[in-house]
Amino acid sequence: MSDVFNLSLIYATIRSATPILFAALCATITQQADILNIGTEGIMLTSAFVAVLTSFMTGSWLIAILIAVLSGIVMALIMAVANIRYNAHIAAIGIAINMFALAITKFGLKQFLGTSGTFTSPDIAAIPRIHIAAFDNIPVLNEVFNNWCVTEVFGIIMVVVLWFLLFRTVWGLRVRCVGRLPMAAETAGIKVRALKYQVMIISGILGGLAGAHLSLGYSQMFADNITNGRGFLGVAAMNFGGMNPFLVWAGTLLFGFIDSVGSRLQSYGLPSQFVLMLPYVFTITVLAVAMWRKSRKEIKAKSAL
Amino acid sequence: MAVKKMNRYVTLLLTLLLSLAVGFVFMLILGYQPLDAYLQLFRGAFIGSVNLGTTLQKFVPILLTGIGFAVAAKVGCFNAGIEGELYLGAMAAALTGHYIKGLPAPLHLLICFLAAIIVGALWAAIPALLKVKWGVNEIAVCILAGYVAKYITSYLCNGPFSAGSGVPQTPQVEEGVILPYIMEPSQANAGIFIAVLAVAAVIWLIYRSTIGYKFTTVGLNPYHADYMGINSKKVIVQGMMLSGALGGIAGAIEVLGTYGYFLDNFSLNIANDGMLSSMIVWNDIRLVPVMSFFIAALKAGALSMERFAGVPRSIVDTITAIFVVFATMETLFTIKKKRKAKSGKGGKKE
Repeated sequence: MSDVFNLSLIYATIRSATPILFAALCATITQQADILNIGTEGIMLTSAFVAVLTSFMTGSWLIAILIAVLSGIVMALIMAVANIRYNAHIAAIGIAINMFALAITKFGLKQFLGTSGTFTSPDIAAIPRIHIAAFDNIPVLNEVFNNWCVTEVFGIIMVVVLWFLLFRTVWGLRVRCVGRLPMAAETAGIKVRALKYQVMIISGILGGLAGAHLSLGYSQMFADNITNGRGFLGVAAMNFGGMNPFLVWAGTLLFGFIDSVGSRLQSYGLPSQFVLMLPYVFTITVLAVAMWRKSRKEIKAKSAL
Repeated sequence: MAVKKMNRYVTLLLTLLLSLAVGFVFMLILGYQPLDAYLQLFRGAFIGSVNLGTTLQKFVPILLTGIGFAVAAKVGCFNAGIEGELYLGAMAAALTGHYIKGLPAPLHLLICFLAAIIVGALWAAIPALLKVKWGVNEIAVCILAGYVAKYITSYLCNGPFSAGSGVPQTPQVEEGVILPYIMEPSQANAGIFIAVLAVAAVIWLIYRSTIGYKFTTVGLNPYHADYMGINSKKVIVQGMMLSGALGGIAGAIEVLGTYGYFLDNFSLNIANDGMLSSMIVWNDIRLVPVMSFFIAALKAGALSMERFAGVPRSIVDTITAIFVVFATMETLFTIKKKRKAKSGKGGKKE
């Protein structure tokens, strides 16, 4: 089993966890304000396409990320306006946004890049990797910490930033207050609608990063439905982590771990479909267990009264 | 929901016009001929028996999955996993259709459908049970379970039940259970009659039976239902299972009617279109057939639009999605009306 469980598994875990991490943070920030962001998948997919398109056209990964983030914000704002201004059911508009993203990226691929299905090109500028020359001769450090993608590091920074924002600032307190009981928040003088818009914009930024990382960092290509449920896995990780950025991160690392172990087991004759299925089955199980424990807690709390 | 009954149809029409207009402008900006594109779309959907047949063939699964989604919505669930139930139902029908031999054709056909219904219903019961037992969000579970179902069927038709032809598909089902084509050379088949029957039964069930009354009560307010002595948890599970069963039937018809075998990844998000058609009409079960026919026509016409007007066919999906985005906004037109009313008053005063 040494070629399944070895040092390189650590980086493999980080690698497959990061796209889900951004998506999970995108869902976390909105859930704190009691908005279930099913549209994470759609935000991510659109920005993944926009990132590849801009990167291909301009040759700059930084501009690509910026434009991708912008497109993420646009998608998030469509959801926000529909939900906050026009009373759309949040799950309905989320599903609608996902379908819109699926269709518009397919259309864009044909219209602007002239292919359908998959687009790869050497002209796509990828997000660079951080090479630390000093680690080259130290086997352990080299294998674990060298050649990380810039966004992979940035993802971990975002966990801390988001945690600080939510739990150590007045703004974060207000967001959580809106999430708990919007009416009370309003009575206390918090502008609930404005806050919800702000939260959605931040979620758009994070979703945009998720997409850009997926198509420029994790891989250097765009394919129809490249996200393949990663947005939903992010939503699940958010549920698993109970909206706390650090626990959410732990959840995504678990998915990443399962995913990388699964793909390594493929060489032991595990059918590829089971490998692909693994993260989803695992997520459902984890979700069920997490909610089971929560409901047990609630029952106990009630009986204590 | 908040939209008034009379208003509904007007709102629907306005939404439709708005999304067609958005599509029009969109195409104009990109340098296509929108009018020509819409014309070709219409021709490709209705003119000629091939085109009309294709529309009908696409209509059946969209109708069934749409009704399935609407039924789940009736009990307050978002069954976003009908695609998975469709795949598993299709696989169940394909396997029972091939491996059971020597039965009289009608009985065999019944068994195929029953297998599909049971598998679909049980699969939908998983998220429902998790929801009512521990409050797990059913949307997330449904979507994730959909992926699992897809991979399970992919494994089955690649591995143990492969036809061995190199193509990932199961062996051909027995001659007796194949639903005949009704509009050759298109793929429209006798499944449409089964679908219409099933939908009629569901509409009767929802609007004319005690079960339907329970569904509606639970969907409106589960606490109220519990107070009245209706076991809301049980009803939610029943509703989801009915929804899953409809997905299973859709899959069975695709296999027994359209293909004759299970083909890996055949559906390509049919259930999404069903979901769309239900969401556009605010999950009103009686309006779903109309909307699913409309969407089926769009889908069927898209191909000839691409061929003759040169517009990529994914634009149709885009316009449909825009349609849904607008349709989910409950108060999109109500607010505009209020403003008009206000300005009208202002005018009188002057």
